[in-house]
Amino acid sequence: MIGEEFADLLAAAQGGSEAAFSRLWRNGNPALLRYLRVIAPGAEEDIAAETWVCVVRGLSSFTGEEQAWRAWLFTTARRRAIDLARHRSRRPEAALDEFTAAQLPSSEDSAEAAMENLSTAAAIALVAELPRLQAEVILLRVVAGLDTESVARMLCKSPGAVRVAAHRGLRRLAQLTAEAGVTL
Amino acid sequence: MTGSDVPNVDMPNIPRPQRQDEPAVTDADLAALLAGTADAAPGLRPVADVLAALTAEPTGIELTGEDRALAEYRRRAGAPVPAQRARRSTAGLTSRFGVKVGASVTAVAVVLGGGAAAAFAGVLPAPIQRFAHEAIGAPTPPPQHAPPHHDRPGVHRQPAVRGGPGANRQGGPHAASTPTAKGSPPAKGQYGKPHGKGQQGQGGGQGSHGNGQGQGNGQGQGNGQGHHGNGQGQGNSQGQGNGQGHHGNGPHGPAQQGSPHKKGPHGSPQMNRRPAGHPRRSTHTRPVMDT
Repeated sequence: MIGEEFADLLAAAQGGSEAAFSRLWRNGNPALLRYLRVIAPGAEEDIAAETWVCVVRGLSSFTGEEQAWRAWLFTTARRRAIDLARHRSRRPEAALDEFTAAQLPSSEDSAEAAMENLSTAAAIALVAELPRLQAEVILLRVVAGLDTESVARMLCKSPGAVRVAAHRGLRRLAQLTAEAGVTL
Repeated sequence: MTGSDVPNVDMPNIPRPQRQDEPAVTDADLAALLAGTADAAPGLRPVADVLAALTAEPTGIELTGEDRALAEYRRRAGAPVPAQRARRSTAGLTSRFGVKVGASVTAVAVVLGGGAAAAFAGVLPAPIQRFAHEAIGAPTPPPQHAPPHHDRPGVHRQPAVRGGPGANRQGGPHAASTPTAKGSPPAKGQYGKPHGKGQQGQGGGQGSHGNGQGQGNGQGQGNGQGHHGNGQGQGNSQGQGNGQGHHGNGPHGPAQQGSPHKKGPHGSPQMNRRPAGHPRRSTHTRPVMDT
């Protein structure tokens, strides 16, 4: 979360300041990717990029506090993920094992990145084992930093249902960590 | 299931968890865990670690798309560039619209001008020529089969036989009639100075961008039409004089008791048997012949 600087950063970004927009991006993109890794595994980077394109288009007309900003960001990403899922259901893609290793995307520092992400990746993997609603509620509450009402609006649920899903998800996480003996 | 003969020492000893020993996890604890406002309960510490890992500092791979986002930001949100593009596009739209309007106006002007020229040249089909005659005073269309008739004194002459050798029957040398018409035919013209004079006859003039003049003396008729030039005709005595000019000047041709027909250098010879001063069917211009 950015905090009190958010209003000034937003105004500067809307006025054309690349530095201000970069700050907003650096604050939002990692959380966006972590959320998308659970709800759209394998397509998180593409969806995040499309999300930022949409955000840039609507940046000049956005008004609101940081909570509303993050709600807009994650709502846009969620819609893009839903669109992608529908698109893939209409046009199924080839299985990944049909490609050779040379055709798969890779980066030079992938091993280093894997080491960096070990703890975060393990946590995301644990959350991904939860039922979809519980996982999404926990990610939106913890990673996106949204309150219960904002999450309820995003998911078209009542605040009570969101609260129940969050508690069940946390209890389930406690069971998973106890059973697996996960050490992050 | 074991039988009654099995000793108790052989029964499996399955330890059961002592639920009373576990810390109770309340909704308040969960809410605090989500909010991150308090230390997690002992039973929720692993969960707290998971949540902390979810909100860990961003890694390098999570910041690799910044250049792409910034490029999109520069392209779309950079204030000066979109504004200039919008102004350019608006100006281009206006320019394209102006060109279209100009082209349309030019095309309409060409069509109307050509139509007017054709109407005054008398080459339009009869219905259109008749309409042009009523609208802008162009010559009337010729009848399809004009019955031959000889001019006789007192015969009310029918107008508009155009061209051809038979056209000079009107106002022929032997025609005799008593002129009653006043020689003040209205002239109709467009952008010109049509002028018509008549003495005991009729004179009509039409001009379009030029002068048309006609004179008629005696019982004759004079009719002149000019289109981009001067046309003049004179008729004396019982003759008729018609002159039309088209992009030029019709020579002054003296009528010789008949139907001198004059034409301009660039015009086509026309014999207009129509009474001069015809354009509006005005009573001032219609010849009234005594029978």
